[in-house]
Amino acid sequence: MIEARQLTRRYGAKTAVDRLDLQVKPGELFALLGVNGAGKTTTIRMLSCLSVPTSGEAFVGGFSCTKEADRVKQLIGISPQDTAVADNLSVRENLEFMASLYGFDPEKKQERVRRMIEDFRMQEVEDQRAKTLSGGWKRRLSIAMALINDPKVLFLDEPTLGLDVLARRELWRVIEELKGKMTILLTTHYMEEAEQLSDRIAVMIAGQIVACGTLQELLDSTGENDLENAFVAIAEKGGVR
Amino acid sequence: MKRMLAFSERNRKEILRDPLSYLFCLGFPLVMLLIMTVLDASIPKEAGMTIFRIDNLAGGIAVFGQTFLMLFTALTVAKDRSGSFLTRLYASPMKSADFTLGYMLPVLLIGIAQTVLLYLASLVISWVVGTPLSVPGLLVSLVTLIPSMVMFIGFGLLFGTLFSDKAAPGLCSIIISLGSFLGCIWFDADKTGGVMLKICKALPFYYCTRAARSAIRLDFGQGTYLFPLLIVSLCAAVLAVLSALAFRTRMKADLA
Repeated sequence: MIEARQLTRRYGAKTAVDRLDLQVKPGELFALLGVNGAGKTTTIRMLSCLSVPTSGEAFVGGFSCTKEADRVKQLIGISPQDTAVADNLSVRENLEFMASLYGFDPEKKQERVRRMIEDFRMQEVEDQRAKTLSGGWKRRLSIAMALINDPKVLFLDEPTLGLDVLARRELWRVIEELKGKMTILLTTHYMEEAEQLSDRIAVMIAGQIVACGTLQELLDSTGENDLENAFVAIAEKGGVR
Repeated sequence: MKRMLAFSERNRKEILRDPLSYLFCLGFPLVMLLIMTVLDASIPKEAGMTIFRIDNLAGGIAVFGQTFLMLFTALTVAKDRSGSFLTRLYASPMKSADFTLGYMLPVLLIGIAQTVLLYLASLVISWVVGTPLSVPGLLVSLVTLIPSMVMFIGFGLLFGTLFSDKAAPGLCSIIISLGSFLGCIWFDADKTGGVMLKICKALPFYYCTRAARSAIRLDFGQGTYLFPLLIVSLCAAVLAVLSALAFRTRMKADLA
């Protein structure tokens, strides 16, 4: 469903993503795990047509992210790292606005918005303006907005960054409920998050994927018994201290 | 079209739900209208100063109010750019024209409503002070003011696109000060003459006020109405195209 071939992005002399090869299967929840500055967000930006690769190619649903961006945009939803919501609009209005952008007729729009509010259990805040929501509710709204067009592929960029433990756990439950219904590519630097949610994990260091596999495969390959130690072992092997 | 309308609806709500919009776009011009009316009553007739008489003041205040449309356009665009909101929208099927028209349209409608309210207030003042105001003149002036609204909105879109949400309001303040002063809202440059008049005539703001005032008097002379309106319309077209191109270029750079 998602494929990257030798995907590279340079900013001047700095290489943010370096010859990245990636394949994500339909329905899979795939995590890009790495420290800050590893190139995770740049990768998501290229896969969601928000940034043009310096070289290499990326495909979503078989469509080229550079040559067929309009087709790709119809297939994807994205929840950026910062909560990208319209502050002075209510939860319901934010969802209605996004539905309108995807050309839903009024009846279908209302049905879809109602469904999102129910699925994300946002009834108690649906008429509340986004700027008055807590961080956890804002993230939940942000993900719901990304799902309004019923995307085949969902990109979640650091979805729980800055949330308290309870809000994080609640958001994990939300993401777990989405598993299998669509392909999800998630970036995170929280080991526990990758461990808890992912079908497969790719460890990204200095713009490159240095290890990729299921949690068990990563543990087996490093001889460690938890992901944090496995990540450290992989990172040290990759030259990062 | 649907996307543009949805985006413009969002922008309308964002602006109208900010209490500062009412304070600056309506409250401040109304207060100035009242203060200048009181000032006009205090000026002896022998002075022959008519700049603050309601038939002159109404058009000037309407242009003054429009300068705040620029501020709120710039703030909306710059704030959207400062966060991830535009990133989300860039990943949607929205095109550059949906963004620029979506930003401009709601402010234009707010501007029309603003002028209607300011002219209604002017009409009430004209009854109180006994200086007649022509209702058809006010209606023609309302239409005459549309190009200058577009011009100020164009300035706002340009500043919001090129500068941060910290810098854009500052630049707008400069235009607000320049526009209201060199637009001859607060003084009569035609009577002052000299270099001051030349400076005023070199900038579009003078023509905005002149066209609006002439329309209220139902004076459609070539020099008093048609030429000023032509200048303002040309400036509006240039600013609208320039700001749309600037936004498109910025969008392309953001997506590079």
